[in-house]
Amino acid sequence: MMEGILNNYYETGAIILFGVGFVTLLMHNNLIKKIIGMNIMDTAVFLFFISKGYIEDRQAPIVRGVHKGVEGYINPIPTALMLTGIVVAVSMTAFALGLTVKIYEEYGTVDLGQIMKMRGDENDDS
Amino acid sequence: MRGISILFPLFFPIITSLAFGTIKFKSKRARNIYLTSTIIINFLFVINVSMTNASIDFHLFKVNDFLDIYFKIDKIGILFSLLASCLWIFTTFYSIEYMSHERKEKRFFIFFILTLGITVGIAFSGNLFTLYIFYELLTLATFPLVIHAGSREALESGKKYLVYSFTGATFVLLGMILLFSISNNMTFIEYGVLTDLNSINQNLILVIYMILFLGFGVKAALVPFHSWLPSAMVAPTPVSSLLHAVAVVKSGIFAIIRITYFIFGSDVINKVQGDFYISFLVITTILLGSLLALHQENLKKRLAYSTVSQLGYILLGLVMINDNALTGGLLHLVNHAVIKIILFFCVGAIYFMTGKKTISEIKGIGKQMPITMGCFSIAAISLIGIPPTNGFVSKWYLAIGGLRADRVLFSVILLLSALLTAAYILPIVITAFFQGEKVAKEDHIEPPLRMLIPIILLTGIVIALGLFPNFVLNFIESITDSIV
Amino acid sequence: MIARNFPLLTIMILLICSFIMPIVKEAKTFKKLSIISMGASVVLNISTLIYIKYDGSFFYRVGHWDAPWGIELHIGMIEIIIGILFTLVASLVIWYSFYSVDTEIPKEKIRFYYLLINILIASLLGIVYSNDLFNSFVFIEVSTLASCGIVVIKDKKENIKATLKYLILSILGSGLFLMGIAFIYSITGNLNMTFIHNELAEIYIKYQNTILISLALFTVGLGVKSAMFPLHIWLPDAHSNAPSTSSALLSALVLKAFVFMLIKILLRVFSLEIVIQYRVLDLLLILGSIGMIFGSVLAIMQKNIKRVIAYSSVAQMGYIFYGIGLGNSLGLTISIFHIISHALTKSTLFLAVGSMMEQTGKNLSDLKGIGKEMPVTLGIFTIGAFSMVGIPILPGFISKWYFALATIDASKLIYLGVILLSSLLNAVYYFPIIINGYFGEENLKGKVFMSKNKPVKELLPVLILTVGIILVGIFNKGIINAINKSLI
Repeated sequence: MMEGILNNYYETGAIILFGVGFVTLLMHNNLIKKIIGMNIMDTAVFLFFISKGYIEDRQAPIVRGVHKGVEGYINPIPTALMLTGIVVAVSMTAFALGLTVKIYEEYGTVDLGQIMKMRGDENDDS
Repeated sequence: MRGISILFPLFFPIITSLAFGTIKFKSKRARNIYLTSTIIINFLFVINVSMTNASIDFHLFKVNDFLDIYFKIDKIGILFSLLASCLWIFTTFYSIEYMSHERKEKRFFIFFILTLGITVGIAFSGNLFTLYIFYELLTLATFPLVIHAGSREALESGKKYLVYSFTGATFVLLGMILLFSISNNMTFIEYGVLTDLNSINQNLILVIYMILFLGFGVKAALVPFHSWLPSAMVAPTPVSSLLHAVAVVKSGIFAIIRITYFIFGSDVINKVQGDFYISFLVITTILLGSLLALHQENLKKRLAYSTVSQLGYILLGLVMINDNALTGGLLHLVNHAVIKIILFFCVGAIYFMTGKKTISEIKGIGKQMPITMGCFSIAAISLIGIPPTNGFVSKWYLAIGGLRADRVLFSVILLLSALLTAAYILPIVITAFFQGEKVAKEDHIEPPLRMLIPIILLTGIVIALGLFPNFVLNFIESITDSIV
Repeated sequence: MIARNFPLLTIMILLICSFIMPIVKEAKTFKKLSIISMGASVVLNISTLIYIKYDGSFFYRVGHWDAPWGIELHIGMIEIIIGILFTLVASLVIWYSFYSVDTEIPKEKIRFYYLLINILIASLLGIVYSNDLFNSFVFIEVSTLASCGIVVIKDKKENIKATLKYLILSILGSGLFLMGIAFIYSITGNLNMTFIHNELAEIYIKYQNTILISLALFTVGLGVKSAMFPLHIWLPDAHSNAPSTSSALLSALVLKAFVFMLIKILLRVFSLEIVIQYRVLDLLLILGSIGMIFGSVLAIMQKNIKRVIAYSSVAQMGYIFYGIGLGNSLGLTISIFHIISHALTKSTLFLAVGSMMEQTGKNLSDLKGIGKEMPVTLGIFTIGAFSMVGIPILPGFISKWYFALATIDASKLIYLGVILLSSLLNAVYYFPIIINGYFGEENLKGKVFMSKNKPVKELLPVLILTVGIILVGIFNKGIINAINKSLI
């Protein structure tokens, strides 16, 4: 068990990071911290994916000079996928940050707990 | 294509009621002619359908095995539809006069005619699914009638009515799903659809029967689901009389007849002893209904509890599973309809003329309205079951049925309940005739003819059926012979 | 043959039109662009349906790359039915929005609204059609951004907050979904659903834990997005604060695309035989049942009408999860049928309520006596509500009936009670709205018949939806057979 974890330290690290990100996203009331948590979570998935594609002692899949055959290169697909993943994550972050700025303008705080409280008052009025 | 004729009595009222909603009548007279001719033409349609001897059936639309709107005519359907459309004529005349004092006549008559079509639909349903649909529609169509007054009390009662009805319908749906899963067939066939008994778990059959019985029992005011009925008394009198006498409660009873004799079949019910468990509920219904009726001050409420108890009689006739009892039950279904409608009409007439609602207020009213209260008394006698009225005939058959089924207890309960009936209905007659001041003939305040004539005619029917029951009796016996 | 290109074409048309919108100046032009592109998608989808009817389902290679490397679309009967449903409902909602958009959305943002709707529908179609997990993930993310966009477009305080809540939970959901893909990729080395499926059939015994983890990640991840019961907390805020046309799209289509994705993953990626060995289906069954009941209970407690309908969506999604959780083919078929019936019904309800709210207010008590002023609108609402409650012939009844039969098939008789209880609860919150609308006395006074009713022209899209509801009810047999046939 222990050996397996140590041998696959990329994956282990990725899962730990994922957990950290997940908890940050869920537990923190501060919106900025939530967004940071989301980024950590995404990064963890990227790490996991790319480590799946990486094979030791092989080169990046770029042909220089002679083509070394399939055995010579790592699996390029996960890397390519994660490029898309990063783009998606960045746009998500941008959107979330944009909304956070709006929230701060409207409510004067980025603490979700306080915002929810204000909202309770509003509901009583209506 | 002869099957189409089955649709006329069904859709004619529905279409005319919708048309009624859009037409603007020049005068009240024109409206009244429209109303009465609608109802009478529909009666003729029903007779036309009944006269054809061959069995007619018609698939209105069939989507798949269960989603099948299917109409079929058999004798019991004819009995129920004739009863409904005949009594509807009397009620129409009565309510044209009565409703002139209430508001929103138009809305009333739209739903009034609509309900007739739906009731005929229940009578002619050829399978359980069609029956269920019309049963739900009946709730929706009668709901605006119940809350007609629009007061807070009326809305509360309406809510109660809806909650009870839909709970019942949900039970029915559950029963239908389970039934469909074991039989794959929900058509009404004499002696039932469950032919292959051995392969089916008998407990499951019992459970399904109980679920369906309780589900339809809600509309049939089975104790403990009866309390919507007295609450629904806030409705205008013609509505109460129809709800009680024909449309709603009798539809519940009719549906129970359908499931007992046409889905499960008497043999199956006997075998799984469904009748045994049900009869406890039914006996409670009879006794509790009478006992509760004893101390109701409001006249309509007293009659409502009386309905609960009388419906118990009919159900008792059904669950004893022998032909005499069933004859008695069906006969009482007809007789009680006529009797109850008279009683309600009389009470309505009193309210219409004097605004009095409770027993203590009507002292001496018999001297002011001798004809009305005379009819009331005859109906009351019939309700108790004293010859020569029709109530006696049906109770006689019920009692014989009880003895034939070796259940003497039932016959005793019938007698006991007859006593209770006398105890709650006779005080009204006594208060009306033997208390209060004498009144000169000029001060008589009989209701207008359009209200009085239906009452007198119906009373005539009560006596006629008491003296010459054979006409109806033979017809009912021909029904029972084929299904027990 | 050319019909094979249509599914990709619909997605492309919608996306390209949406990119043109910002450079168009005239308000009329981009509205036209939006409705025309959506209408064209409906036509293309219908012709694909006809093609599939005669030639059977097919795989479409995007860019002519062969399967494991290139992206594939899998177009079968179910996909195309859902595709038609999405585009049709969307076109009707867009049509309706022409008359209501000015009152609900700031003027300068209207063009972005149509842009977002086009992107949203394109990405939803992508989710439905795609046969590639990662491709689906990208579409899911795009649809999340777009659907957050159509909520926040109103630019009010509550909208921003509701959107943020929605966005955060959606991101959580997509994070879990992506992690699920990572796990499944790590054992199969493929992203194409068909290839994963073939691979899994051989190796699933070796990797039981990994499969369980990825199943759980997919279920929870998509569960968040499609409002599975305890994860639904974002839904009432987002759906009730959005403009009514957005609410209609979100409730009717967006939730459905995610749940359909879940069905695809369970069925096409893992296959029922594998899934049945894990307790995931039981989880879905139980959460679905709880959702069916508590969604309705919570709806009963609401005062704001849009929140009532939003919670009702939670309950209805519960039915769909319940059907999946039964784990037999009838249950799955009816879940998909319920996707169709609920999409039509819920969009009708939201649009009808939207036009009532324009005239009165957002609380239930404001709607008393509305039937006098807007009889047609309330009539439409009534038909929708009847379908929800399960009045026969309407599709809501059909799905409940078949859900019950599927329950009996799976011999889980106790759950019959859940179905019946939940339909009773539906009646408890829909009937008072109708009754108070038609018969609520105190407010009827002083109201003039039809005084606030919208002109027929503006109600026409909703009327068409209503007719659609009834047609789906009447022709249920054909639809259910078609779904069932192509499920296997």
